[in-house]
Amino acid sequence: MPCWKEKPPEVERTVKANDREYNEKFQYADNRIHTSKYNIITFLPINLFEQFQRVANAYFLFLLILQLIPEISSLTWFTTIVPLVLVITMTAVKDATDDYFRHKSDNQVNNRQSEVLIDGKLQNEKWMNVKVGDIIKLENNQFVAADLLLLSSSEPHGLCYIETAELDGETNLKVRHALSVTSELGADISRLARFDGTVVCEAPNNKLDKFTGVLSWKDSKHSLNNQKIILRGCVLRNTGWCFGMVIFAGPDTKLMQNSGKTKFKRTSIDRLMNTLVLWIFGFLVCLGIILAIGNSIWENQVGGHFRTFLFWNEEEKNSVFSGFLTFWSYIIILNTVVPISLYVSMEVIRLGHSYFINWDRKMYYTGKAAPAEARTTTLNEELGQIEYVFSDKTGTLTQNIMTFKKCSVNGRIYGEICDDPVHKKVITKEKEAVRFSGQAPAEGSFEFCDHSLMESVKLGDAKVHEFFRLLALCHTVMSEEDHSGKLIYQVQSPDEGALVTAARNCGFIFKSRTPETITIEEMGTLVTYQLLAFLDFNNIRKRMSVIVRNPAGQIKLYSKGADTILFERLHPSSEALLSVTSDHLSEFAGEGLRTLAIAYRDLDEKYFREWHQMLQTASAATHERDDRVSGLYEEIERDLTLLGATAIEDKLQEGVIETIASLSVANIKIWVLTGDKQETAINIGYACTLLTEDMNDVFVIAGNTVGEVREELRKAKGSLFGQNSSVLSGHAACEKQQQLELVSVGEDTVTVTGDYALVINGHSLAHALESDVKNDLLELACLCKAVICCRVTPLQKAQVVELVRKRRNAVTLAIGDGANDVSMIKTAHIGVGISGQEGLQAVLASDYSFAQFRYLQRLLLVHGRWSYFRMCKFLCYFFYKNFAFTLVHFWFGFFCGFSAQTVYDQWFVTLFNIVYTSLPVLAMGIFDQDVSDQNSMDCPQLYEPGQLNLLFNKRKFFICVAHGIYTSLALFFIPYGAFYSTAGEDGQHVADYQSFAVTMATSLVIVVSVQIALDTSYWTVINHVFIWGSIATYFSILFTMHSNGIFEMFPSQFPFVGNVWHSLTQKCVWLVILLTTVASIMPVVAFRFLKMDLHPALTDQIRRWQKAQKKARPVRRRRPQPRRSSSRRSGYAFAHQEGYGELITSGKNMRAKNPPPTSGLEKPLFNSTSWLENLCKKTTDTLSSFSQEKTVKL
Amino acid sequence: MKGIPEHHLSRMPDNTAMKQQNLPAYQLRFSATVVLSIFFGTGVFCLCMGVILILSVKSTKKIEINYTKICSNCAQLRENAFNFDKECICSIPFYLPEKMEGNVYMYYKLSGFYQNLYRYIQSRSNNQLVGEALRDVEDCAPFKVSHHGTPIVPCGAIANSMFNDTIILSYKLNSSMHITVPMLKNGLTWWTDKYVKFQNPSFNNFSSKFAGSTKPPYWPKPIYDLDRNNVENNGFLNDDFIVWMRTAAFPTFKKLYRRLYRIHYFTEGLPAGNYSFNISYNFPVTRFHGEKSVVLSTLTWCGGGGFFLGVAYTVTGALTWLASFALMAVHLMWKKKKIAYQKKSYALRRKTENRNGQ
Repeated sequence: MPCWKEKPPEVERTVKANDREYNEKFQYADNRIHTSKYNIITFLPINLFEQFQRVANAYFLFLLILQLIPEISSLTWFTTIVPLVLVITMTAVKDATDDYFRHKSDNQVNNRQSEVLIDGKLQNEKWMNVKVGDIIKLENNQFVAADLLLLSSSEPHGLCYIETAELDGETNLKVRHALSVTSELGADISRLARFDGTVVCEAPNNKLDKFTGVLSWKDSKHSLNNQKIILRGCVLRNTGWCFGMVIFAGPDTKLMQNSGKTKFKRTSIDRLMNTLVLWIFGFLVCLGIILAIGNSIWENQVGGHFRTFLFWNEEEKNSVFSGFLTFWSYIIILNTVVPISLYVSMEVIRLGHSYFINWDRKMYYTGKAAPAEARTTTLNEELGQIEYVFSDKTGTLTQNIMTFKKCSVNGRIYGEICDDPVHKKVITKEKEAVRFSGQAPAEGSFEFCDHSLMESVKLGDAKVHEFFRLLALCHTVMSEEDHSGKLIYQVQSPDEGALVTAARNCGFIFKSRTPETITIEEMGTLVTYQLLAFLDFNNIRKRMSVIVRNPAGQIKLYSKGADTILFERLHPSSEALLSVTSDHLSEFAGEGLRTLAIAYRDLDEKYFREWHQMLQTASAATHERDDRVSGLYEEIERDLTLLGATAIEDKLQEGVIETIASLSVANIKIWVLTGDKQETAINIGYACTLLTEDMNDVFVIAGNTVGEVREELRKAKGSLFGQNSSVLSGHAACEKQQQLELVSVGEDTVTVTGDYALVINGHSLAHALESDVKNDLLELACLCKAVICCRVTPLQKAQVVELVRKRRNAVTLAIGDGANDVSMIKTAHIGVGISGQEGLQAVLASDYSFAQFRYLQRLLLVHGRWSYFRMCKFLCYFFYKNFAFTLVHFWFGFFCGFSAQTVYDQWFVTLFNIVYTSLPVLAMGIFDQDVSDQNSMDCPQLYEPGQLNLLFNKRKFFICVAHGIYTSLALFFIPYGAFYSTAGEDGQHVADYQSFAVTMATSLVIVVSVQIALDTSYWTVINHVFIWGSIATYFSILFTMHSNGIFEMFPSQFPFVGNVWHSLTQKCVWLVILLTTVASIMPVVAFRFLKMDLHPALTDQIRRWQKAQKKARPVRRRRPQPRRSSSRRSGYAFAHQEGYGELITSGKNMRAKNPPPTSGLEKPLFNSTSWLENLCKKTTDTLSSFSQEKTVKL
Repeated sequence: MKGIPEHHLSRMPDNTAMKQQNLPAYQLRFSATVVLSIFFGTGVFCLCMGVILILSVKSTKKIEINYTKICSNCAQLRENAFNFDKECICSIPFYLPEKMEGNVYMYYKLSGFYQNLYRYIQSRSNNQLVGEALRDVEDCAPFKVSHHGTPIVPCGAIANSMFNDTIILSYKLNSSMHITVPMLKNGLTWWTDKYVKFQNPSFNNFSSKFAGSTKPPYWPKPIYDLDRNNVENNGFLNDDFIVWMRTAAFPTFKKLYRRLYRIHYFTEGLPAGNYSFNISYNFPVTRFHGEKSVVLSTLTWCGGGGFFLGVAYTVTGALTWLASFALMAVHLMWKKKKIAYQKKSYALRRKTENRNGQ
């Protein structure tokens, strides 16, 4: 978006179709999108401006300016400018590359082709050239280029189906329909080209579910709503073609308006670093002040007399002024305690870790050819500190694939799990045997393998036949034949798909339906049933029924639904079967399967006629229509005969159970936030062992008002604590629990004994998130082992994450796959997107992405842990190194009249951090491993130090600083004592300043190299090369800079000529270096040894027991065996949406065999608007982020 | 891998040790044996080194005479800058009880003289001293040019403050016979200083090369007059000058002044007996409360250091040994407890697992 063209904010938009000239005067944005930040000309100024906004860079710029003032300059300018330029260049290169890729992706999107109606002809045009007011033709499975007003489509009624996965993460189809006036335009190009309607509508905004506008055409006005609009980012499905008029283009589209700026995330180490840097800066100022005061005193006492040899300018004779100048000089010299290379090195290390994530074959999913990807390169060590994981359900924990796993027919269970391949083979044969000629091949995904069921079918068991007949009849599935004649089912809910497919594979093939009939193929013969009534599903009824008349004239009611509901409406004769089936159901539920009970009823003609009559009157009624209809439904759905039950597995992603188990051993709490219904969510909770049967209690919060919710929360808490603990305030309890978990000993009296889980509903959550109930919720949630929030909107997901993030001050991770997870992914400290799904929104918003939930385990326990471990080690060492390096100047200050003389050569100061010592510590920061990846996976407890922030915190920082100070003392005073009025082997100088500088520098390089050698616990070739290489580099640079040649070229820049030869050939210099090294290193070795000996950390033990490891390995938990608990839990869960029954009986969605291009074949149909609006109402609600009742995600 | 389309393969990360983070590596571990043996070894080494150093320093001979106050009249004279041209000779007799064997070096030692002040160190021109650009006095503030604007050669505070006492050691051969101990004026400097860092402008007509320049204000004579007897030792190449220009690290320092020319009586070194220093007292140290001494000393194999290094080695060695015993004791004592602890922590861990992992 060009920001220099300041336009007044748009209030209203007026667009005229096919009239570019008219539209141009409003200067609407065209369809070109611009996510890149710079172009070639603006790159340098903007990038530099951005970079110097960073505190660190600004600080170094400030130092550079200080150094340019001759009065206080104590170091030459190059000591700062060389690293600064290096840093700025590296960052600029990185920014440039990032922007290059953005340019590339922009270009790719901008250059997509679309068919635009220009000058009465359809022409191919690039997306970026599409203008507001243009009419575009879209074809099936095409991405929508801009926000369009739907004009006409290939489907009757100007209907079109879209998939909004990229917008809201939902993969079910949504219906849009054009105004009837425009849908008449059809595909008539000349008429479309003449279309000159004017749309007056709202200004661009980010509300996905709202649109208001008016179309004026041919002297009449038509109001427009969201139903007429197709948004950019959607995909056209099941619709041959459609025409639309561009309303919003490019940056004005709702998609682009919604992709808010990604929040800049920082890791907690970053924040800690900021504090520490401030402290260090304070420390620096203190040192500066001490030295400045020292200088003033010295000037007063000594320096004044010394002026004989060193004239000062008159004004500088003032000792206080001299002290003031000294202060700034020392600020310059001591600035290396906050070395500029620290920030660069951190970035480099994180980048390295990101590459390791990208390269990890164990996080590569072959199925989708999707490697893991670290999309943000600055958050890696935070992965080692996660305390809470917020997970989406569909597509993340589950595959969104339903399979018919088991069933219970007439008191007999079919479908035991069999993994034996030989057995399987037999079954396939059996299956083939029951197949009848002409039957379409069974769906490949069908995995049912119990041949006894097939046998029953073959043997003609009436109950079994009735069971499958019911499954083939009672559903809302639409069938379709593709060009090869293969039967394809279009399902509204995957549950139904699984059931109908199961019936199909067992010889009851649903073939086709019309509004009045259902045709199925029963054991090879085509049977057409007359569909008499369709009793649609809704969330209160929790069941659906059909009433059909079979060819023999019998009227039957087939019903499927929640066991709890259906069991109440059974005929007493089913009593015996009920108890058996009930046992079966609880067994299914125990395995985490989703169950439905199946029942039928024979109706006699007369009764049905009466009932039908009443139904029609009720349907026609305007008053309390819904109530009357549902009353009639109740009336007829009784005295049912139980047939059995089905068990569908909502297939979990691979390895979900293991991952959850392992993460919970690592003390990571997992919250599931899902848009699903409560039943489905609980079911999945059980399936992935987040909830278990032996949990003491599962609190379900489903209140409708603030008061109710609060009451329920309090009650839950009460039962959790027993009676006496209501006194405990929320936070104290939470913290107590936290501590408890750390110590993992349960001796406290207020301990929560046993496992609890919390399930909270979307609308309860809305109340619970209000300010005063928040604490109750949080407190309770923290005490529970598992938390499941169902029916939450994307916004609520973000709010929950925010709540935990802010109040608990914990590091959070959100993982999800759909666009509805974007908000939570953006809110959490770390956002992880599941890639390989259709919608890309989640991945685009995420910091990390991979294809399978199970990779989370490796990402956290291996990569995260290592990153954290390495980063902490790196920081400890870096602070140590720089304190050791810099504080020597402080000690020297006392011996050089506080004159801001550096101890080292200026070149050494310049190169120390960026050349001599950077690579070994980088190598450690990138490659170090304390325990192997396998051990980190096997022993999730190793993750805990990260959560508790043990490896780098303020205490550790002080230890590092103290270590650095000690080393600097040793480094300075040992050479000082040794050099104090000494002479070289040939009687010549050795105590001169330059030799002292070389000795100190060499000792320093050797000491810090030995230290890094000690710190490196994983010595790869690279570490060897870098550590030895750094020392070699130091000496070679030293010899070069002290060589005759370079001195002759630049005598004033390299005054140390020949120094290294004279100093380093002296034995006493080497003795000094050796002693300094021993004195600096030995205490460290002693302390480390003692610590490891007396208080071995878990890592030490594991390293020690590398061989005996297998014993210590925690047993991988398998799926728990089904448990029969006394309190039976219903496994009912059904992802079905209300409203499709009506759609079917109206026949609107049934296409004629050869769909005509225009609307010519329309049949006049009764109450056509009512179903359409009804359906639209219901489907739009799914788009709305605040709908709670009717949202059912597939 | 058969059957996987090309693009699948291309997105699969390479299976290299580097990318999969399983490079062959040596894991550094501090086992008790290794640590303890390192400690014992280091301790032994340091102790030995310390003893050797102490013994060798003890074997050196050293005479140090602080002549700041002894020549008090001269010191007073120099307090006043106007007396700069008045000569003041001071004689300091001393007795050498034992003979100093081998090479004997004569140093002057200054204390309280801050040759390491930032401004002081910076105040020199290497370009000038290398004989190339006599007019390059850029860095020499505050001694860049004279009042007339001619460049000072050698410029800068270091050169200006050059030590200019003359010390002559004489030996009392017998009661009446004093002979001057022969001393060498050369070989006092580093080779690189003499042959690389300091160079005279090209040689023909020596003094004219320095024409158009001014001597430093505190100098009694110009640079080309430092040693008229020996052209090799004159100008920027004068050894005393070069030695002075190599600034000391600390405010107390000694600089090599002369070394014994081992001929005649002195082939073995300095014989025991009576000596005296005849010092032409020019360098005013009392003005800045400094002191100056003259030092005669022999050297050891590792130069002429004090006891510090020897003592430091001994102390370090002793501490390391103590530490190694302590470590060993702790290690052995805790071995049993450690096993118990590990058992406990293991049990604890299992408990946590059971709790967390249901």
